[in-house]
Order: sequence, then structure tokens, then C-alpha cells
Amino acid sequence: MTVGAARDIDRGPVNDRAEEPSRLIENLAGRAISLELGSLDLCFVAALRLRSRTGETTSFSEHELVDAFRDVCALTQPEATGVARRGTAAIQRLRDQRLLSRVDGAGVVRSGAYTLTRLATSIVDFYLEEEALTGESLTLLLRTLHASLLELREQARSATTARECSDRVVGPLRVTIRDLVDGIERRQRGLDLQQERFQQEISNLLSADWFDAVARCQDLLEETTTTLRELNAVLLRDAHTLVTLLEDIRELAHERGASEADDACRRLSEQLERITAWGLARQHTWSEYYQYVHRYLRDVVRLDPTRALTERLRAELGGKAGRRYSLVVAAQPPLVVPREVTPPRDRPPLERPRTEREKPLQEAVADDRDHALVATVQAALTGGARTLSSVTEAVVGPMPEGERFSTAGRVAEVAARLAKAESARERPWTRADEGIWIEEWSLTPSANEG
Amino acid sequence: MTATKFVTLGDAVLDEQFPLVDLALRRGRHVDRDDAEWFGFLRDAEDVLEPFYRRYGAELVYRADGYYYLLPSGDKLAKRQLGVPEMLVGQALTLLYLDPANVEQGGRVTREQLLAHLATVMGTDALIRALNPKRRKYDERVAQETVRTRVADALRRLAALGFVEALAADEFKLRPALMRFAEPVRASADGAEALSRLVASGEVAFAPEEVGTEVSERPDGNESDEVDEEPGPSEDRDAPEPTNADATAALDTSDFEDFGFEDVEPGTELEESDEAGVLE
Repeated sequence: MTVGAARDIDRGPVNDRAEEPSRLIENLAGRAISLELGSLDLCFVAALRLRSRTGETTSFSEHELVDAFRDVCALTQPEATGVARRGTAAIQRLRDQRLLSRVDGAGVVRSGAYTLTRLATSIVDFYLEEEALTGESLTLLLRTLHASLLELREQARSATTARECSDRVVGPLRVTIRDLVDGIERRQRGLDLQQERFQQEISNLLSADWFDAVARCQDLLEETTTTLRELNAVLLRDAHTLVTLLEDIRELAHERGASEADDACRRLSEQLERITAWGLARQHTWSEYYQYVHRYLRDVVRLDPTRALTERLRAELGGKAGRRYSLVVAAQPPLVVPREVTPPRDRPPLERPRTEREKPLQEAVADDRDHALVATVQAALTGGARTLSSVTEAVVGPMPEGERFSTAGRVAEVAARLAKAESARERPWTRADEGIWIEEWSLTPSANEG
Repeated sequence: MTATKFVTLGDAVLDEQFPLVDLALRRGRHVDRDDAEWFGFLRDAEDVLEPFYRRYGAELVYRADGYYYLLPSGDKLAKRQLGVPEMLVGQALTLLYLDPANVEQGGRVTREQLLAHLATVMGTDALIRALNPKRRKYDERVAQETVRTRVADALRRLAALGFVEALAADEFKLRPALMRFAEPVRASADGAEALSRLVASGEVAFAPEEVGTEVSERPDGNESDEVDEEPGPSEDRDAPEPTNADATAALDTSDFEDFGFEDVEPGTELEESDEAGVLE
């Protein structure tokens, strides 16, 4: 037999508060966890575990370890030779896999004292202990859980600071309460295994004894059915109360600033919900199985106590019986429901819409800006403006800003046409308007007029 | 058994379950306790539905194993015989149903289990021959693939008839209606008398000899979903029920020419096909 044992020399167990399953898996893979525990090693660990229980010893000397191994070998492999050498190797294997640890710390000074690790006890307890959930054990566990949570709620109420609340409430939540809930889950797994064994046993009983096994099969069915019914009744009754208590504790801790209680309470609530869901799922599954087996016992076993039917049918299928036959079954074809017919629509041919290609002419006011500009310049000259800058300013000033610059050049051209323009040898630049600078001319109106 | 709910046929017909149950029964469905609502309806409406279906020339049958089905005895309702693969698979499933080893799994079996059981009880060669009629020589690999295909097809048809319930692609739950396959051998060691009685009552019919009759293939080589001898509503009403001789004569054996086999002369060496598992 080979069962699992974690081999990890350098580091401790994986922190269960680590964030994500994927990271946990990566962590395990990175640490190259390996499993190797043979049947003899397992028996050796079991022997140590049993001795520690009966003798109430917490550690074993090297001599005691070898003695235990010798006893196990005598029981399991009486012909084996070199037992002491094999014992030394077995002890080393267990130490390598962190199943056995030295606790004396004396090093080379004297021979060591060893104890089984939690890993070793967990593995071997799985095989040694029959911890199945029953109505009684579940009631006891839930009652203890209820009392502990009530106590914690009182502690949370009386705590005044976050530190106090954390010490009194969060710590126990993480250790004591969680251990209790874990205990329920562990027993659930025990009950699952027990159910599996019952199913196998029912099948084996029928195979072996057929008709004579009916009563025993019914007893097994009833036993598990009663247990599951009790468990569900207890779970449904108590789970809600426990979750409410956890919620009270969480709120009280939150008010006192111990926010780490949130996580602990949430985890415990989830565990309790999982336990309740487990109970319902198992009862449903078992109910189906129960009905099937009862029907089988009633319709098959009781009606065919000698199993002759199976033999005759086997002969029939094997072609050893007479002429072949077929069962007749009704075979009305599905009703034909014709699709509703819709007459096709007449589609008009595709054509381009008719539009007027030539747009009609429209009346528009002529845009005679040149004439208007000439008139404006003339008015400025008439008004007494005698320099180009003054004429330009008078003309472009009223115009929109965007047109002023472009009009300034045309003003000069018109002014030169309407008046005699003169300039000094050095023509000075003069500001004509905002942003417009021009060379200054003097203008005499009569000279070029006409 | 007495009706507790429905006093008149009208009450039963007005029940919301009636259309579905009626259609299912007419299509050959067997209804057992696992179909909780349909079964409950039939229990309550049994007394008014029996005379109703009798007018169609059919019997609403209830078996003590806990299932109902409709058995057409006249020619007003269409009926059909199960084909060879369906019968073989049905009988093998019944053996599995009777086997206490399957009680542990609550009557769940896989297709592989079924095939293994068929091969054990019948023998591999007999199984291949039964599901590949009219082939003197065959390629073993292709023949085995054909057996698997036909068994899967038969399972699908039996599931539609309520003999098994498909749980997953390859997993099935055995249902009480499978005990119908054991009826001819149930009464006594000599089943001839029971068989005659069942034939007379229309429960079973003798299978045509030599020829596999149930699975048709289209000219393109694909198997059709429906069974060949299933009559249409009109032809079933007008035509008399075919006898065995009629069935044999009516069968076009060319339908079976392309199951992936070729008749070969003795001494011819068979070539391996490159495509594993594909019908040629």
C-alpha cells in the first residue's frame, strides 16, 4: 500500500491563508512535494501511534523505535532478515518525509528522542479511526459549538479595544471553533466512506446470498437512512442559529475595530453552509439509491428467488433458446403540422426616382462692393481726409474685422485714383487701424479726379 | 388500482399532463416512477384512459414492475417491432438490471460495461454476426466499429422508449421497463408457451429470420433515425399488419450493402484502412 506523505525538508506547511488556489498549487509544485509511504512504513507509523496512545508516551527513544519496527516486521514479514538495518532505513525515510521528528535537541551528545508529526498522525488516524457522523455525535459537536460561540459573543461585547477583541475573540475563532467545525467535516467524510461501504456490502450480500440477503440489506438501508434523516434534522435546526451567532460576533468585532474577525467569521459561515449543503445532497442521493434498492429487492429478488430468470435470459441472449422475437411498441409518428403559407408579394421593378436635373434660376442682389468702396473713399476725401492713413481708417473702421486688412490695399488703390497721392522721400509707416500699418501718403483731391 | 382524481375522461384530458403523456405513450414511451408527474397522472387517470385508448385499438398496460405503456393491438395506432440491435441491447441491459453487482451503483451502467457484457454472454463473433448480417467476410476493426455504432444507436432508441435514461454521453440508468425484455422467459423454464401467449396478445412478434430488419440506411450510406418498418399513419390504417413473410419480402437487401463491408472471394487478402474507425 502506498499512501501520501508530504516531503518537504526546507519549509513548513503551506499557509492556508494564502490567497488563491492557483498560487497554493504553484507553491506546492515549486517545493516538489512527493509522496512515498509503503505498507510496512505505514504499519510502523501505526504501531508507534498505538503505542503512544496506550502508553501515553509523547516521544520514543531510538531503541524503542527499533523495537517497534522489529515487532511490526515479526507480524507482517516474519521471514525478513536484517531487521535492524531495515529499521534504521525506515526511521530515516520517515524523518526525510517529516513523519518523525527529533525532539530532544541533544545532537551527537546522546541518542535522540523522536515523536510522530501531525502529518504522520493524520495519515495513520485515517486508517485507525472510524469517525463517522451520527445524530448523537453531531448534536454533541453542534451543542459545543453553540456554547463556544455564545461565550465568544459575550467576550466580544465586553471587549473595549481592538486588541482586546482580537485576543479574546479572533484567536479562539481561528483555533477552537475552527477545530470543532473541522471535526464535523472530518466525520462527514467518515460517513461518506461508510455509505460507500454499505453500498458495496449490499451488492456483495445480494451477489453471495441473493434471496437470503434481503433482510440484511433492508437493515443496512434503514440504518443509513435513519442516520441521514437525523443529521439533516439537526443541521437544519442548528446551522441557522450558529450562522446568526457568527454574524453577531463579526459585527461586534467590527464595531471595536477588530476587522480581522471578518475573515474568520466568513470562513466559518462558509464551512457551516457547506456542512448543511452536504447533508441535503447526501440525503437526496441516498434517497434515490434507497428507492432503487427497495425496488430491486421487491421486483427482482423477491420475484426471482432462485435467480432462474437471469439464467433463462442469459440463454436467450446467448442464442441457446428458440426462435428470436421482438417486442412490439407503439410508434405513432409525430403529428405533421404544415407551415402556414403566405402568398408572395408582387415586387415593383427597381428604378431610379425621377428628379429635375436643371435647378431653376433664382433672383439675387448684385454684389457691387467696388462701387461702394469708391463711394466710401470719395466720401472720406470729401470729408477732409488728406492722408492715406486717415482715409483707410475711415473706410475700414466700420467693416468686420476679417475684411479690414484685405480692404486696406484696395483703399490705397482707389484713393490714388481719386486723388493725387504724394509721399516724402522716406515714406514713414503709419498705423491706419488695429493691426494695419501702411506707408503714409498725402492726398490732394482734385488732381486725379475724373 | 382505482382512480382517485379523474372521474371522467374530460377531467383527464383537461389535465396539463395529458398532451405530453398521450404523445409519449403513442410514440412507444414506457412511463415509470422515475417520471414522477407522468406516472402519477397515469395512476390517477388509468380507469378513464383505458377505455379511451381501447377505442383506438390499443391497450394501456400497467405492469407490476411499476411502469405503463401503450400496446397497439389493432391497426388504428401505428406500431413497430424492435430491431435486432435494440432487442440484443435491451436483453443485455435487462441482465445488467438483474445483476446484483450493479445495485452498488444504483443501476447506473456505462456503454463499455454493456458492450463487455454483450461480448461475454454472446461471444464476440456472434455479436458481430448478429449486428452485421449478410456478411460472409469482414474486416474485424470495421466490424467492431459497426457494432459500437449500432449499440450506441440502439441505446439512443431505447432511451427514447423509456427503457433506460441517458445520464451522460456514455452512462445510462437502467429503468424497470427493461423487465419487458424478460417477459417471455419469466413464467417458466420452457418459454415457448409464454412466448406464444405473448405473440397472441401482440406483446411480441417473431423476428424475421436471417435478415436484420430494423435499421435502414439511406442511399448515401447514412443510417436513418427512424426504423424502416414503422408505418406511416395512412398506410398503417389502410394496410393489414405485415406478416413475417411480408416483412422479409418487403425488405430490400440492397439497403445493407454499404455498412463498410465487402463480400470478398475466399483467399483474397484484406487491406487495412487508413482511417481508423471510419465506416468505408
